Amino acid sequence: MSKILEASRAGPLAAPAHRPIGLGRLGAFVERESVFSWLMLTPPLLFLLAFLGYPFIYGVYLSFFHKEVARAAEFVGFGNFVKLYNDPIFWQAVRNTIIFTGVATVLKASGGLGMALVMNQSFRMKSFARAMLLLPFIVPTVLSTVAWQWILDPGMGLFNRLLVVSGLATTGPSWLGTPTMAMISIIMVNTWRGLPFFGISILAGLQTIPVDLHESATIDGAGTWGRFRYVTLPSLLPVILIVTTFSIVITFFDFQLVYVLTGGGPANSTHLMATYAYSLSMGAGQMGLGSAVALSMVPVLGLLLVLLTLFVRKD
Amino acid sequence: MALPTQPKATRRSFVKLAAAAAAGVAAGPFISRNAQAKPVQITFARESSYVKNFDVHFQNVLAPAYEKATGIKIEYQVQAAGGSAVPQLVSMVENKSGADLAWVQQEWLYRDALVDVSDIAEEVGKQQGGWYDEIKRLSVDKGKWKSVPNGNIGQLMNYRKDWFDEAGVKSFPDTWDEFLEAGIKLKAKGHPFGMSMGHGFADNYSWLYPLLWSYGVTVMDKDGKKVALDSSETAKAVEYVKKLYKQACIEDCIGWLDPANNKAFLTSQISCTNNAYSIMVSAKRDLPDMGKVIEHGLNPKGPTGQRYHALVPVTHGVFAYSKDPQSAKDFLRWLMDPKQYRPWIASGDMYFAPYLHAFDKVPEWDIEPRVKPFQKVLETGKLTSWPAPANRQHGEVINRWIVIDMFTKAITGTPTKTAIAEAVSQIKAIYG
Amino acid sequence: MVGELTWQRRILGLWLPLVGFLVVALFPFTWMAATSLKTNAELYNPKANPLSIQHPSLVHYIDLLRETNFLIWVANTMLVAAIATGISLLLGAMLAYPLARMRFRGGALLAVAVAVTYLIPQTLLFVPMADLIGRMRLGNTLTAVMLTYPTLLVPFIAWLLMGYFKTVPKELEEQAMIDGASRWRAMTRIILPLCMPGFLSAGIFAFTLSQNEFLYALLFLSKSSVRTVPIGVVGELIRGDAFYWGQLMAGALLGSIPVALIYSFFVKYYVAGLTAGAVKG
Repeated sequence: MSKILEASRAGPLAAPAHRPIGLGRLGAFVERESVFSWLMLTPPLLFLLAFLGYPFIYGVYLSFFHKEVARAAEFVGFGNFVKLYNDPIFWQAVRNTIIFTGVATVLKASGGLGMALVMNQSFRMKSFARAMLLLPFIVPTVLSTVAWQWILDPGMGLFNRLLVVSGLATTGPSWLGTPTMAMISIIMVNTWRGLPFFGISILAGLQTIPVDLHESATIDGAGTWGRFRYVTLPSLLPVILIVTTFSIVITFFDFQLVYVLTGGGPANSTHLMATYAYSLSMGAGQMGLGSAVALSMVPVLGLLLVLLTLFVRKD
Repeated sequence: MALPTQPKATRRSFVKLAAAAAAGVAAGPFISRNAQAKPVQITFARESSYVKNFDVHFQNVLAPAYEKATGIKIEYQVQAAGGSAVPQLVSMVENKSGADLAWVQQEWLYRDALVDVSDIAEEVGKQQGGWYDEIKRLSVDKGKWKSVPNGNIGQLMNYRKDWFDEAGVKSFPDTWDEFLEAGIKLKAKGHPFGMSMGHGFADNYSWLYPLLWSYGVTVMDKDGKKVALDSSETAKAVEYVKKLYKQACIEDCIGWLDPANNKAFLTSQISCTNNAYSIMVSAKRDLPDMGKVIEHGLNPKGPTGQRYHALVPVTHGVFAYSKDPQSAKDFLRWLMDPKQYRPWIASGDMYFAPYLHAFDKVPEWDIEPRVKPFQKVLETGKLTSWPAPANRQHGEVINRWIVIDMFTKAITGTPTKTAIAEAVSQIKAIYG
Repeated sequence: MVGELTWQRRILGLWLPLVGFLVVALFPFTWMAATSLKTNAELYNPKANPLSIQHPSLVHYIDLLRETNFLIWVANTMLVAAIATGISLLLGAMLAYPLARMRFRGGALLAVAVAVTYLIPQTLLFVPMADLIGRMRLGNTLTAVMLTYPTLLVPFIAWLLMGYFKTVPKELEEQAMIDGASRWRAMTRIILPLCMPGFLSAGIFAFTLSQNEFLYALLFLSKSSVRTVPIGVVGELIRGDAFYWGQLMAGALLGSIPVALIYSFFVKYYVAGLTAGAVKG
């Protein structure tokens, strides 16, 4: 694939020296790089402007208004943001979201890398195993989360029954009943659900590393760990980066899991920014305030991503 | 038929008449089409009922009957339980499209978008023994009825009589102090209480607010202007709940949403919780032995010597954006007529208790004696905003679980004074 | 073959961790399956073993299929996911191709803008989105979700596809055009087919996300006959405060099977495409 890497770093493509066969003047016009590009881009851009751009602008606009359900909106400038600045629940939601996203992502990335390395070997039943490993990611989140509610049940749940049966504890912990355990539980469920995504994507990346790279490294005397560090990891870095970035974004915005499992409790210990925004907009009918919370997610997320990029650049 | 010959004047008027008739015949189809500007369909949105039969009765008996009588089809939109009805209602109101009438949960959010139904409510009240005063706090806004109360979902203490007897607690505790003592005894026997204190909407409010009230504390004063939560009695109530949790409850319950206590009770993990009578019904169906020993007790009395219950109201409202609000009102009026209303309520096994005094002593309450106490709830039942108006600010306090979290924060380590002060300042910020 | 003591390495390096991952991934499903086959009496019995079934019964499956619109929900979900995926792949490819392979004014800026769009949280959009759908009178129609899901998918798909498009060497396109093909032909006949693994990968991902979506479906689809599996199951199998656990789990399993099957079918092609590419490169 090194040739391909080289090629993609090639300079701009010069316009063809002669016209393609069978096109008239209009065709030649379309053939121009910029025209062709913009023609291709127009439909998706129009779609995104209509269905993403407009709601986004409206959402941002709402966050500067005091808007209650069925009432007219009043402009309040930064009033909503001031309110949030003074709102302890808001800051708790910010903290919770950062911790939740950070820890879950690290677990998913490392677990996914491990899964990919294991799956990169050949064995019988490999495709079956791959399909099975992906199940947590495929099942609709709402449904697996409902199942987890029961698995985490302090008396009846699988975890505590196993702990008691194996003699490791007299009664298991209250998985959703204390602030710390509740946070651990939501991180655990999120990791369980998201790990296969990392695993399968990194696996795909692993399989595109050319065998000759490994061979030449071995010839140069590198052991298994050396090959991993100097061949595998660097080649995987782009894939890992893309997948991690995407996962951070999705996890940061996560809503369903907490909504179903804890509703943000106990004592707001698992309230994420997404669930808080939702309960403000839909529960308290404060759509302006809810939009302000949602909008605040963007700079916080941006900060996280910048930190990630800096961390990667250090290598 | 041959017309008698007429003098000239009447012949002219006959021609006019004939012309009019001819025009009328020609225009007939056009006119009758427009006269059918009555809606062909009315959409009625309601959260799914715990007692499935209630919804079934509506769909199979009431809706077809109305269609037969008026030609209008009733579309019954069953909304998901567990908190998703409100977002859908809010969405409908904001976008001015959706159902014509609905169970208007959290109507304080959008009362302005509801149609005046005073005519229906007053008529029903007169016909059926008069309304319980407390529900007017919710349904009446500035002197006009904005919703017609349909029924109350009663919440009482559900407990295992067999385990209580075993622990030596022969009758259900009458005061909160006795309740705590009973809980300690039962927890010692491995059957703790499970009092919901998480981010749910019913099973937490249904005992924590009555507890506060029985200590003489309310969240707001009766005008809804001043915060009344900061008082020494509040501190006593919080200290009590801390003790109750630590000494009598299962650890999990501070995080419980509304379904969790059902699950815990049915899996024999707890001996007492506050709930509607859904636990008993599930037990009777799936765990008959347990079903025989479940009983319902009233909320205990507090230092004031009073006991209180929290109302969980079901009210129906008509949306102003509806294409034909009058037709929706006509349907609502028909629904509340005793001919339809009484069998419908009965089909729900009295899960929804009418707010009308005519139903206080009806024989339906005696079918299952353990359901009868739920009628008593109406006597001492108050809306969670009591004594203040049930307005939007109250809704915000409820939806952000500010008072609930006051208790759970104190339980998880925040000093009581701080927890109360934080709650008070948050409520002050909401009411402005 | 590299390394000695191959069978020991196999066990440590392959079988042990593999079984570990499989157990972690699958134990909830075993539990879900066991629950769906137990009667309520057994389910609520605190002394019963959570994973073994004393009196297996299909009652929950029967109730699910007979008394709810479950099959309709599955059909709706599949349809919506398929169409949303199709739209997203198309729009995503149209967005990604020029950004990845062509130089033109505004290209870099646009690429950044596209990347930034998926930093927009759904919770910021759902209120305006509900307004938009209401205005278009698309409430309670599957079209509402078919149109709104691509907004969640297109940015990521575009970025994913850009990565794949970039890996195809420019020489192939240049050569084709020197031979007389137009850009369009070069793109559709040569470049895109080479990126099949990318399309499959993006498509699978989009399909999975679509059938998982909850918030928009919750807001736009309230009639039972247009519901998708997540909200149908949660909406109608939870009444008041009672969860119909057996049916919920039966629904969860039945709802995942079609997707798992589809995925396992496509995975073969996906891997074949990738390994073929690796050998060629």
